[in-house]
Amino acid sequence: MRRFSDNPESFFKIWRKSLPVALASPISALVPTRILDRSEVARDVILLGVEAPELVKRVRPGHFAMALLPGGQAAGVALGIYEARGERCSLLFFLAGDRTRRLGALRVGDRLDLVAPLGNGFDCEGAERDVAIVAGGVGIASVLLPAQALLARGARVRLFYGARTAERLVEAERFAAEGCELLLATDDGSRGYNGVVTELLAREDAAEAVFACGPTPMLRAVSAYAQERNIPAQLSLEEAFGCGVGGCWGCVVPIVRTSAQAPSFPPSDADGSDVVHARVCVEGPVFRARELRW
Amino acid sequence: MVELSKFDLSARIGSLVLPYPTVALSGCYGSGAEFAPYVDLSRLGAVVLKSVTRRPRMGNSTPRIVHTPAGMLNAIGLQNPGIEWYLQHDVAKFAQTPCATIGSVAGFSVDDYAYVCERLAARSEIAAIELNISCPNVAHEGETFACDPELTARVVRAARATTDKPLIAKLSPNVTDIATIARSAVAAGADALAVVNTVRGMAIDIYQRKPRLGNVTGGLSGAAIRPIALLAVYEVARAVSVPIVGQGGIATASDALEFILAGASAVGVGTANFADPRAPMGILDGIVEYMTQQNVRRLRDLVGTANTGFANINQIEGDEG
Ligand SMILES: Cc1cc2nc3c(=O)[nH]c(=O)nc-3n(C[C@H](O)[C@H](O)[C@H](O)COP(=O)(O)OP(=O)(O)OC[C@H]3O[C@@H](n4cnc5c(N)ncnc54)[C@H](O)[C@@H]3O)c2cc1C
Ligand SMILES: Cc1cc2nc3c(=O)[nH]c(=O)nc-3n(C[C@H](O)[C@H](O)[C@H](O)COP(=O)(O)O)c2cc1C
Ligand code: FES
Repeated sequence: MRRFSDNPESFFKIWRKSLPVALASPISALVPTRILDRSEVARDVILLGVEAPELVKRVRPGHFAMALLPGGQAAGVALGIYEARGERCSLLFFLAGDRTRRLGALRVGDRLDLVAPLGNGFDCEGAERDVAIVAGGVGIASVLLPAQALLARGARVRLFYGARTAERLVEAERFAAEGCELLLATDDGSRGYNGVVTELLAREDAAEAVFACGPTPMLRAVSAYAQERNIPAQLSLEEAFGCGVGGCWGCVVPIVRTSAQAPSFPPSDADGSDVVHARVCVEGPVFRARELRW
Repeated sequence: MVELSKFDLSARIGSLVLPYPTVALSGCYGSGAEFAPYVDLSRLGAVVLKSVTRRPRMGNSTPRIVHTPAGMLNAIGLQNPGIEWYLQHDVAKFAQTPCATIGSVAGFSVDDYAYVCERLAARSEIAAIELNISCPNVAHEGETFACDPELTARVVRAARATTDKPLIAKLSPNVTDIATIARSAVAAGADALAVVNTVRGMAIDIYQRKPRLGNVTGGLSGAAIRPIALLAVYEVARAVSVPIVGQGGIATASDALEFILAGASAVGVGTANFADPRAPMGILDGIVEYMTQQNVRRLRDLVGTANTGFANINQIEGDEG
């Protein structure tokens, strides 16, 4: 029998392949938390720290939470888990619409229920020593934990980070302080490269692996870039969610049926096509670029 | 938690008696298992499964969901693995659900409904069958079955011929006179009615100048449709005397009680589960609180009591039994 201690790296690879991804993620729970700190890190961008010691122990890089709005009058909001250390987790979000505004109105001491941790997360156990993380806009909230995990393994981590304006490049300094090399881009040229972040990515030396989180057009460009160069890419997708826990099929993306992320998927259509709709909230949110058919 | 055992909270759907009147709705609670880590499913009356069709369906392209000021639009498009796969891989798992499991059948022809209903109803894991004749999100020739009394009758009659299990016909609010459709479904053999499915709607992205749903149109659910759904229940309750599973925007016990007083024997919770998976359990606790306050011991004594002139079938049945 194979034992973990014989060869930890390959043990994990096999374990991951043989289990459906949904089961490989830790069991999530309904976690009552209390707000410890709240700051507006830029105009309309809120950082909420919550007390959740049990959650910290279970969170892996790339996990997300469904934040349940007090009073329950609208659907919960999917948010990446930004930080997780000690007793505290944090959420970093843009005031986009109704629901994020309600979350943003919470104050220190208020209660906030989270359904978490959810999703499969990034695989940070690969052998790559040089990783490019590409983040666009709110995508930044989902890549701090992976950056920390990669840096802890001794990898070189370059953060390619794009936003509309300099003001919107929130938390860039935080990543630099952690040890990431920063490569910034803004649409208006107010800071860093003047243009989209994927252009900046293409101009620099290729990394051994790419992690990305951001708007869909950015992810498509990252995916094309990585596949042209045959670089493994893990993309954390965003879709409109209903339940966030696999119960409504609102959040799907087309992927190859035979991929590891569609472990027990039925054929999708009567025509026997090899493309299926997988749930971003359960089979994702992180997908390998080569498995996506979007 | 309130003491439930002092109360009779049961709700009848044909020959099926649910211990509690709260039902998690089709497409909104998975098979129940997805929500098991967060709630105690044994405190739920039943879960209605996502609709299944004869052949596998990939469903609509995304976005499938748009959140709206008091609810949401969805256009999932009945993504499902098809009845064969479902019977082989999924149905056995439902035996573990600690509440009743109600199957939901959708189709594109009378024949489809009869075929899927027969196959699914034959399984012991399934306590009852809901006929989803009112999905607004699948394009097919003509109209939704539930928009026409004759088509409604043909589907229900064909399904009725395949099983003795309780049959629930799920009606659409997108009609001029829901009472006519209700009568037609009951005459064709429906044991109960689910009232109502989503209201047709859409949203447009003003910057991209494009509809926001991949399917262009969708079904509106949540608080936005509650008064529409309540009136539908009120009218259906006056037209027929079978149990009604009232649904559409129910999020709290007082919402649920409005539907019960209008004539619903049971209440369905869909969209509210996305705001809080514990919603159905909270509603149950609130109903019991209300019954304590109002000194009512049997839930069925409340059914239809605000529906003036409505002969209360549930009460009659209860007294006989
Ligand atoms: C796995 C995952 C992780 C996520 N992590 C984060 C995170 O860490 N931080 C974060 O900030 N977000 C994150 N998001 C996104 C977040 O969930 C959404 O931004 C949130 O749901 C928005 O909800 P809302 O009600 O505030 O906005 P909504 O009202 O749903 O609006 C969303 C967007 O659509 C726009 N919009 C609304 N109405 C219209 C209209 N009529 N026409 C055109 N545009 C319109 C809004 O301006 C807004 O940009 C994540 C999403 C997923 C799926
Ligand atoms: C995301 C979503 C998926 C749904 N899928 C189905 C379905 O497959 N079959 C069905 O009969 N009804 C489906 N419905 C309708 C609900 O079961 C319910 O009748 C409706 O949403 C009204 O109740 P609510 O306002 O409490 O959500 C769906 C609703 C939503 C929001
Ligand atoms: S959001 Fe409900 S299945 Fe993913």
